[in-house]
Amino acid sequence: MSETTTPSVLSMTWWRWICYLIPIVALVIPFFANEYLLWVVNAILVYILVTVGFNIVIGNLGQLAFASTAFFGIGAYTTAILMVYIGIPYALAIVASAVAGGLAGFLASVTALRGIRLYYLAIITLAFGELMRWVYLHGDKVTSGSDGLLMPQSSFFGVTLDSEVTKFYVFLLLTVLVVKATSNLMQSRIGRAFVAIRDNEASTASLGIHTARYIVLAFVWSGAVVGIAGAMYAALIERVFPESFGLTEVIVHFGMVLVGGTGSIVGSVIGAITLTTLPELFRQFPGMDELFFGIVIVLVLLFLPKGLVSLLRRISPVFNERYYRD
Amino acid sequence: MFLQLTLSGIAQGAIYALIALSMTIVYRATTIVNFGHGDFVMAGAFVVYVLVIYLGLPYVPAAVLAMGILFVVGVGVSRGFIDPIKAGPHIGFAMMSISLGYVLRGGARALWGREVFPMPQVFDMEPIFIGDLVVTGDALFIVAIVAVLLAVLFLIFYRTTVGTVIQAVYQSERGATLVGVNVRAFHETMWGAGLAIGAMGGILIAPISLLHPDLGATFLIRGFAAMTLGGFGSLGGAVAGGLLLGVGEQYFGAYINTALIDITAYLIIIAVLVIRPSGLFGKAVTIRM
Repeated sequence: MSETTTPSVLSMTWWRWICYLIPIVALVIPFFANEYLLWVVNAILVYILVTVGFNIVIGNLGQLAFASTAFFGIGAYTTAILMVYIGIPYALAIVASAVAGGLAGFLASVTALRGIRLYYLAIITLAFGELMRWVYLHGDKVTSGSDGLLMPQSSFFGVTLDSEVTKFYVFLLLTVLVVKATSNLMQSRIGRAFVAIRDNEASTASLGIHTARYIVLAFVWSGAVVGIAGAMYAALIERVFPESFGLTEVIVHFGMVLVGGTGSIVGSVIGAITLTTLPELFRQFPGMDELFFGIVIVLVLLFLPKGLVSLLRRISPVFNERYYRD
Repeated sequence: MFLQLTLSGIAQGAIYALIALSMTIVYRATTIVNFGHGDFVMAGAFVVYVLVIYLGLPYVPAAVLAMGILFVVGVGVSRGFIDPIKAGPHIGFAMMSISLGYVLRGGARALWGREVFPMPQVFDMEPIFIGDLVVTGDALFIVAIVAVLLAVLFLIFYRTTVGTVIQAVYQSERGATLVGVNVRAFHETMWGAGLAIGAMGGILIAPISLLHPDLGATFLIRGFAAMTLGGFGSLGGAVAGGLLLGVGEQYFGAYINTALIDITAYLIIIAVLVIRPSGLFGKAVTIRM
């Protein structure tokens, strides 16, 4: 009768294997795609990490924080600054970006722990992101202001990142590792605690779960993941400048999380893929990004509040996040 | 120097006060913080621009008409976008309002490109000199208008039934419904009023500054800073916070570094929320676990 009552065509395990197969099949993309298309694919990989990271705080922990832009910028600038001035290898710069992003996440979580929640948290994190952009703009001596930092030639364990192809393989490896790690974390006791805090913080605390610790962890993890995405972004666009981390970026991250589906890793991936590809079609028109993302989010909120992943859930229950039930 | 700074700070702060107050009205009436408010303010300024430049209307009727348009828009937002997602999580309201703001911002950019627009001078008055002090017609005009508007609003809020209804709905929507308040219509009116008053801020600032689509973000952050400083949800606090912010920006810019004008609002938000989240006049509403 209705779609929900039809038994799934494929079994759960099969769906899981298909999910694992996707990155393996993706390995052949460079043989078909041209340079531009591959650039878009690389951008998708970057945004998958951004969305997965952002989704932890907004979807799983249920906190309204706008700090992802700040994490993203901090990650990108950490990589750029360390590589330009100290000349450390890219692999190490990624680790540094993850640490810097995690630290920024820790800072954001401290405000959340001080009882700054919901709107207050949104406002303070929005201010934090804009403040960081001001720092990039006015920290001329280090960040060279609005001109930005030109990334030096980077190599990842001997692989020179001089073409989109090599970047693709490095990015794919990083993305798969981080997404799998996050997915495991979310299915563990820790991920369950995040969702419990979102649903009812007081009763979670009453079960003897140290909520403060988990809130800090969620923010730190989110910051680190988005920080890594920032490091990848720096390598992708090759010049890190303040305008990449402005207010438009906020709505882009938001849109990806919402369109994909809040609190879902599969959803994050879907959201990142759709919303990185679509705006490429009308890149040259001013204001279209904002208009497009704004309208898409409004439509999703009105008609598909669980995001695109909810359509997949009708096909197979495997797309239900284990601890994210309604 | 000091007095001059204070004066221009007050003129600027009056606008912030107006914006913060309009955000507070929406917040108090609906418990929704409108994250797109700055863009609605920007939209108000653009509507006036269109009416004055393209349709040749005089400034004052154009301003009144623009406020009317924004009122209708506010009712539409409440009815078409906020009401349908009422059942969802509270987080949805924030996302909805911020997205609507981006739609407006993108729309403005798509229509007018990346240009900035100068509005013709409205108050073409010789500046008044009091000793070293220069008082411009614009500043006088803005402060006078805002003062009158604030007086009227406070009369409405504290001396009429409307004020009582606002308080009732703020405390308990259910309770208000039980005593016969049409909460839905009330929310719509308040959205309309909030946007119209916010638009007033944009309309007043249009003749003295350049118009561009990104104006909204500046207004939003300034409005938040004023609200947080004065105490979130407090009407008087929003006004005091706005004035303090306007004056503070001028002092910071003049005595420390001009670049600080841009981030005074951010610093205030962060400092207030970390040190004293209830602001200067607000009641503590923090949750601790």
